[in-house]
Amino acid sequence: MSNSQGALTPAMFNVLLALADGDKHGYAILKDVAEHTSGEVQLSTGTLYAIIKRLLEDGFIVEVTSRPAIPNDDQRRRYYRLTGDGRAVAIEEARRMEKLLARARSKRLFQAFKRA
Amino acid sequence: MSESRPSIADRLYRALLRLLPFDFRSEFGDDMEETFRDQRAHARRARGSVALLRMWWATIVDIVRMAPREHLSVLSQDTRYALRMMRHNLGYTLAAVVILGLGIGVNTSIFSVVNSVLLQPLPYAQGDRLVVLRQQATKLNADDVRFSVQEIDDYRRQNRTLSEVAEYHSMTFTLLGRNDAHRVRTGVVSAGFFDMFGVKPLLGRAFRPDDDKPGAPAVLILSYEFWKTSEAGDPHVVGKTFEMNDRVHTVVGVLPPIPQYPNENDVYMPVSACPFRSSQRMIGNRDARMMSVFGRLKPEATLEHCHADLSVIARRLEHDYPKSYTKGMGYGISSSALRSELTHHAQPMLLLLLGAAAFVLLIACANVANLILARMARRERELTIRTAVGAGAGRLLRQLLTESLILALLAAGVGLLFAAGSLRLMTEFVSQLTPRAREIGIDGWVLLFAVLCAGATTVVFGSMAALYSRTDLAHGLKAGVQRAAEGRRNLVRSALIAAQVAFSYVLLIGAGLMVRSFIQLARVDAGFVPQRVFAVSFDLNWSRYTKPEQIRSVADRLLEKVQLQPGVLSAALSSSFPLDPDTLGTNGWSQTFQIEGIPRSDAETPPVAAMRAATPDYFRTLGIPLVSGRTFRESDTAEALPVAVISRSLAHRRWGALDPLGRRVSFDNGEHWITIVGVVGDVKEFGLAREAPDQFYRPMTQLASLGYILVRTASDPARVANQVRRAILDIDPQTAITMEKTLEEVRADSVSSPRTTARLFGLFATLALVIAVTGIGSMLALSVRQRVREIGIRMALGATPRDILGIVIRQGVALVAIGLAIGLAGAVALTGVLKALLFEVTPTDLPTYVLVSALLFGAALLASYLPARRAAHIDPQHALRCE
Repeated sequence: MSNSQGALTPAMFNVLLALADGDKHGYAILKDVAEHTSGEVQLSTGTLYAIIKRLLEDGFIVEVTSRPAIPNDDQRRRYYRLTGDGRAVAIEEARRMEKLLARARSKRLFQAFKRA
Repeated sequence: MSESRPSIADRLYRALLRLLPFDFRSEFGDDMEETFRDQRAHARRARGSVALLRMWWATIVDIVRMAPREHLSVLSQDTRYALRMMRHNLGYTLAAVVILGLGIGVNTSIFSVVNSVLLQPLPYAQGDRLVVLRQQATKLNADDVRFSVQEIDDYRRQNRTLSEVAEYHSMTFTLLGRNDAHRVRTGVVSAGFFDMFGVKPLLGRAFRPDDDKPGAPAVLILSYEFWKTSEAGDPHVVGKTFEMNDRVHTVVGVLPPIPQYPNENDVYMPVSACPFRSSQRMIGNRDARMMSVFGRLKPEATLEHCHADLSVIARRLEHDYPKSYTKGMGYGISSSALRSELTHHAQPMLLLLLGAAAFVLLIACANVANLILARMARRERELTIRTAVGAGAGRLLRQLLTESLILALLAAGVGLLFAAGSLRLMTEFVSQLTPRAREIGIDGWVLLFAVLCAGATTVVFGSMAALYSRTDLAHGLKAGVQRAAEGRRNLVRSALIAAQVAFSYVLLIGAGLMVRSFIQLARVDAGFVPQRVFAVSFDLNWSRYTKPEQIRSVADRLLEKVQLQPGVLSAALSSSFPLDPDTLGTNGWSQTFQIEGIPRSDAETPPVAAMRAATPDYFRTLGIPLVSGRTFRESDTAEALPVAVISRSLAHRRWGALDPLGRRVSFDNGEHWITIVGVVGDVKEFGLAREAPDQFYRPMTQLASLGYILVRTASDPARVANQVRRAILDIDPQTAITMEKTLEEVRADSVSSPRTTARLFGLFATLALVIAVTGIGSMLALSVRQRVREIGIRMALGATPRDILGIVIRQGVALVAIGLAIGLAGAVALTGVLKALLFEVTPTDLPTYVLVSALLFGAALLASYLPARRAAHIDPQHALRCE
């Protein structure tokens, strides 16, 4: 089911990225996003789960039924995994950003900025 | 983490989560709590309590911000789903929207009237403090004898509870200075009148105290409508002059477009400009009563204070002027709120209609509830499966409510269209009851009312759905439970049908009584023959006819000319005519008199009777039969013996078995004696539902008072009317013709209010009947569909199609019988409120009950017959295979 409701927001992209290197539960995603953005993106539980809900609906992530064996893990904690679709969308988004960045470079935006 | 008891923080967070939609919570709630607990632990460990507080704050803000978005997304999902379902079941949707729309429509329509007429404040500054003063002669049966100039002065000067007192009367004058004479309705008011009502002129100024002084230059204020139509909205109209009553009048102002009370007038003038009001005859005579009086309560005064205050003045007047206020008249004064004065005629009728409309809505609701139940039975599989795959009960309920709400809102739209479409009709109807009819319109309150109706119906349907989902869905897949639930649902459906029948029955009885009452009214023998008679009301330019001889002479010429017109069988002039719209419901021109040989003290109440001046052919023209003696003759001239003809009821009341012919009466305390020469039949002068009044007729030669010409024609009155109009203008082109109507029209108009009420009631009842009957039909059709197998088995076991027909029809008839029994009890209990509106029909009128019961029963039988026939034609083999 892929009824994408508009573009990927930066926060959604961050969540997809957090899941790119392995299945994670909610808190792990929050921590991952905060660490990798040096604390610039601080998600709260409300927004995080609204994003999770949308990503689940869009089929970009799924809930993992076979959970990793971690000692003392709470059974109520749910793990999420990036799907093939999700990975493709994330790659697509990264490429789009890369192109954008390349264009900014080619316009010598950064040099102009430095000189000013 | 420990599982035992949730900490305060956990509970706080859980409370916060309640802001989110139910689905969201049940899907992610636990997980979110877990995550938040981790977050909290980490923050406390690593960064201390300030960081913890900051994180709490961020979390709260975040959830408060995202919750509405989530709710909206659920709503839009539900809406899309509901719309899809409604498109799939277009027939059902249309039926429900139309039925509910009609129900909401009739309610909104009546409410728009109730709102404008009964609920909204008067469109005047502090309109609720305005009062109407009224003088009575209770012993003479006169509730409103108007005020004389001296009385107005007395009350204005002596009262302590009114901050202002203003007077008013209305006359028709001829406005000259253009191509033709123009008759204008003129409100004659004291200078403070418009200020008291808080009306600011659109152009120019209001009247000033100076305008009231005798000899002041004559000035006019135009009504908005008159300014727009006759002066084409000329912005420079102030300063323009007109000739009126042989004086030059200058326009000083134009009124804004407000409803005018107490009457609609074309122009207004101050009292000094009215030749009648400013004449010495009026000013000098305490008994010359012509004016209405209004007042504004002082801020601290109540209506009761005012009444007590005015009564003291009345007693004083009674003491000071015993000749004007005789013991026999029962003099008194009353004050009532202008607002109730303007609406008390309309109130019972409107509330009654609102009640009837509410019944229609109830029936519509019951009907649509049944539709919903039937459809849910069909959607059972879908709903069960959705429950099975994990849609929570709350989620389903929300979905069903959304569907109901959309349905109800669509119906409210239909209802508003209906109300807007019926606005003109309602205004016309209500204008017979209250001058506030012009204010009727659809405003925010009416919109709100329609939406509230829709909301209420949604709640009804929603609870139906809830009932359904709670009891059944969980067990939907188990066949046995399903059957039990099916039985319960059928019971609910049957109850709904019986309720529809009961409500319809009550409405039908109400309508039946109203219609029967109206038929009785229409059949009343009014005492005259209205066919092929028409009345023309005309106003001479009175300033040219001041003496009785002048009036007599113009009357002679007029009558002669009209009688000569081809097609005219007979014609007569008169001072008024039966069922004249202007005197309807009043006591007309009534006069006290004294009978020769019966002395009477002042303390005794004098006899009263209605008075009319007429020319000899009056009785022949109207077909009023002569009972004894004679009618008027040419020889009854002004100089001849003064004579009168009386009505049969007057003869009977005053002389009983004695012969009144040759007896004499006096209208001026014995100064002149008038001999009774004839007795004629009674005529219902002031309304078909009222008793015929005691009536005097005087020859116009001896009592010069004219205003109407009555003509009996050989053929189509319309054609002759034109010739008559021309003939009148030939005699005096300055004459204004103010009305032209056949007496059949006049008679029909006199009962237009009960006719419209009967029609509206009839319309509501018909709607109710149609809705209820289709409800029975569709319910039986559904039941037949559900029982195909059972019917198949019965047929296989030897039941004939006739038996099956009987079974289904019996099912329908049983429901109708129960509904009828309840409805009968309801009707007997409720129709008492109609009593005051019924004419010669009792609220328990047996023929109406029999007829209505038969009608409802017959219609229900027909509605049951169609599905029954379907059932009887079921092929048993096919039916058994189907399952």
